Amino acid sequence: MESVRGLRKFIRSKTFTLIILVIIIWAFFTIVSGGAFIKLINIRNILNSMVVTSFLTVGAVFLMICGYIDLSTSMIGSMSGVVVAIFLTNLGLPWVLAVLLALAMSGVIGLFNAFLINGFHFQPFIATMAISSVVQGLTMVTCGVTAIPITEPLMVKIGTARIADAVPYTIIASLAVISIYGFILSKTNFGKNIYMIGGNPRAARLSGLNPSRTSYILFLNNALLGGFGGILLSFRLKAGVVGSVANSQFAGMTGAILGGVSFGGGSGGMGGAFVGMLLLNGFNNGLTVMGVPPYWQTFASGALLLIALSFDYLAMKKTGRTNPF
Amino acid sequence: MSEVLEFCNVGKSFPGVRALDGISFTARAGRVVALLGENGAGKSTLLKILSGDLRADEGDIMINNEKCTFNAPFDSIKSGVSVIYQERQLVSSMSVIENIYSGDLPCDKFGFINKREMHRTTQDIIDKFGLPIQPGELVGRLSVAYQQMVEIMKAYRRNSKIIAFDEPTAALTDAEVDILFRLIRQLRDDGKIVIYVSHRLAEIFQVTDEIVVLKDGRHVKTLVTQETNEQELITAMVGRDIGDTYKNLSRNDKYGEVVLEVNNLVTDAVHDVSFKLRAGEVVGFAGLVGAGRTEVMRAIFGADPVLSGEIKLGGTVTEFKSPKDAIDCGIALCPEDRKEDGLVLFRSILDNICLPVFHKMKKGIVLDIDKQNKLAISAVNRYSIKTPTVDKTVMELSGGNQQKVILGRWTSELIDTKVLILDEPTKGIDVGTKAEVYQMVCDFAKQGIGVIFISSELTEVINVADTIIVMHNGHITGTVGREHATEESVLALAMLD
Repeated sequence: MESVRGLRKFIRSKTFTLIILVIIIWAFFTIVSGGAFIKLINIRNILNSMVVTSFLTVGAVFLMICGYIDLSTSMIGSMSGVVVAIFLTNLGLPWVLAVLLALAMSGVIGLFNAFLINGFHFQPFIATMAISSVVQGLTMVTCGVTAIPITEPLMVKIGTARIADAVPYTIIASLAVISIYGFILSKTNFGKNIYMIGGNPRAARLSGLNPSRTSYILFLNNALLGGFGGILLSFRLKAGVVGSVANSQFAGMTGAILGGVSFGGGSGGMGGAFVGMLLLNGFNNGLTVMGVPPYWQTFASGALLLIALSFDYLAMKKTGRTNPF
Repeated sequence: MSEVLEFCNVGKSFPGVRALDGISFTARAGRVVALLGENGAGKSTLLKILSGDLRADEGDIMINNEKCTFNAPFDSIKSGVSVIYQERQLVSSMSVIENIYSGDLPCDKFGFINKREMHRTTQDIIDKFGLPIQPGELVGRLSVAYQQMVEIMKAYRRNSKIIAFDEPTAALTDAEVDILFRLIRQLRDDGKIVIYVSHRLAEIFQVTDEIVVLKDGRHVKTLVTQETNEQELITAMVGRDIGDTYKNLSRNDKYGEVVLEVNNLVTDAVHDVSFKLRAGEVVGFAGLVGAGRTEVMRAIFGADPVLSGEIKLGGTVTEFKSPKDAIDCGIALCPEDRKEDGLVLFRSILDNICLPVFHKMKKGIVLDIDKQNKLAISAVNRYSIKTPTVDKTVMELSGGNQQKVILGRWTSELIDTKVLILDEPTKGIDVGTKAEVYQMVCDFAKQGIGVIFISSELTEVINVADTIIVMHNGHITGTVGREHATEESVLALAMLD
């Protein structure tokens, strides 16, 4: 009985519609590319392209559902990737220390974001936009625009090693992070609090929840994940590069919104965000496989988002809710 | 020529609800027509159709025998209709002049805005209505009442033939209501058609000429104000007699220990407030809007900072840094503004009922869904909340059922509420449900809960509460027992300076 109800709910959900859409799009590219698209090696490419994005998206999904946004994540990631290279190569620190220091720096910035928003009541959009520039500027002042190479064999191996010569560890790590955070969001008390605070922070506070503490945790968490994504990317690129993570953040947010995470807070979920990323990355990869110039990918991600939002609007209108945003 | 507005067989459906069904009536120039009905009777829907915000599914609106099609508010304004909503549609960072002219600025031959003319006309209108407002004043700095006057002047400036008011007195003091009524009569005497929507019967008798009674989307009857009385109106609205509501309440008469004691409480908005609440007692807080009652409660609840004074709970002095501390000690607050402060509107009934106790429903590290369901269903049954399932969003519920969800939240098995603060629990609730809420208040008291009952409706507060504390301007001006309280005596205290 309960499971039937759950199934029916799932079939009506947006995530289900998106899965169908992913299947259609993937089938389309498979046919058009003469089967090249669906080959394991290409699926691996798609998942590989999602690794860094996943780390940034997971943190962003938590923040967005709670009604916040952090525009500085990509710059925190870049900074973290650059400083880890400096610590390793220029200063010769042991790798554990280098990674922990880079993460600590990311975490401090995340906490500072939360402090600006809670202490000074800055709009999250504006506070994190400013921090984004500050962090980017400081990173560039420190190392210029040159890439700082990473030669430490273990690090390079972490970035590129594969299980059984097939599946990169980084893919496993990203899938694990998505699953764990998805579980926290949908099953635990903390996850429920995030939804309720995002839905109405004033009501949540008057019911004994602590929106300000929650936002500190989420901004810290988001910065740590962003920092970790940046470090991972540096290992893969074998160098710390300023701005390396820049595109991942918006790709991630686009995927999350595609997957039904509401910008205003209170709704959406990790499953939807993951399918949204699959949709977006599959689409972009399909275009590449077909030999479409990469500029069209940028166009396509915007167009996909507009189409998805239009469908949302029409669906809401049909059920009589005239103001979906 | 005198203007006529006719509704002919207007109908409107929402998914699952027939909001309006064959509404027909006529409003004439120089008459104030009241639209009266319980919540959900269709008054707001009808106004929204008149303003072009919604489209009717069937039927027509005729102005001077001419059929009007309103696709958007713009069309309706062009046909001479102005609707003044509860939520003001003004730009608070702009001046009175700019608001009165918004959307329709007069330009000179070069296309520049003619400020001098705007200023002059605005001053003329202000003088006509005899209001103490400066044309250049920022609207945000005016009181709620005067903002409403600005809306009326805006409608007048547009030369609207039809002016409709949606519960205009909800946030006004008595003195302000008098000014509003003077303006409404002035509009009527100018030959406008005035439509007046309100819950408050007393006002309807003061200011209207005819009353159109709606019930469940249907037009029950039209009455001439001078030829009817309150009893007849209530019977028409609810279809039954509720005159004995208060007499039939089954009250608690056994009080226990003092559960809450407040001594010399001072906050930004409150001065030197002291009172005691015993277990099983209902203490009413009466006063005008803005008297500081809500602020006292927010301070007790840990939502706003306390500057000085002490709060004792069960004999021990406490200091709450946040609502969470207060909740942990057994205080619960049902806020006045249900939508802003009480509910997470687009989450489910279940989520809203379980909100403060999710952390008590863990099974290992995950939340126990069965427990949540049980808790929510038991609240839905106890308060007979009208819904097919607990998964429905609270946004889809009526005001009364939303209030019951909040009551369910604070009286669940997992919460040990000792002090229940109800801030305007019957605001925006229909007459039938109000009676239910009164009985619930008495039932809470019988369970040994100390209840604080804030209300701006005098009749209700002096009839439901055991002790009535009256506030004015942040001070307590008097305390009266129910047996001695009359509307006159309480009102005198509420307006004391």
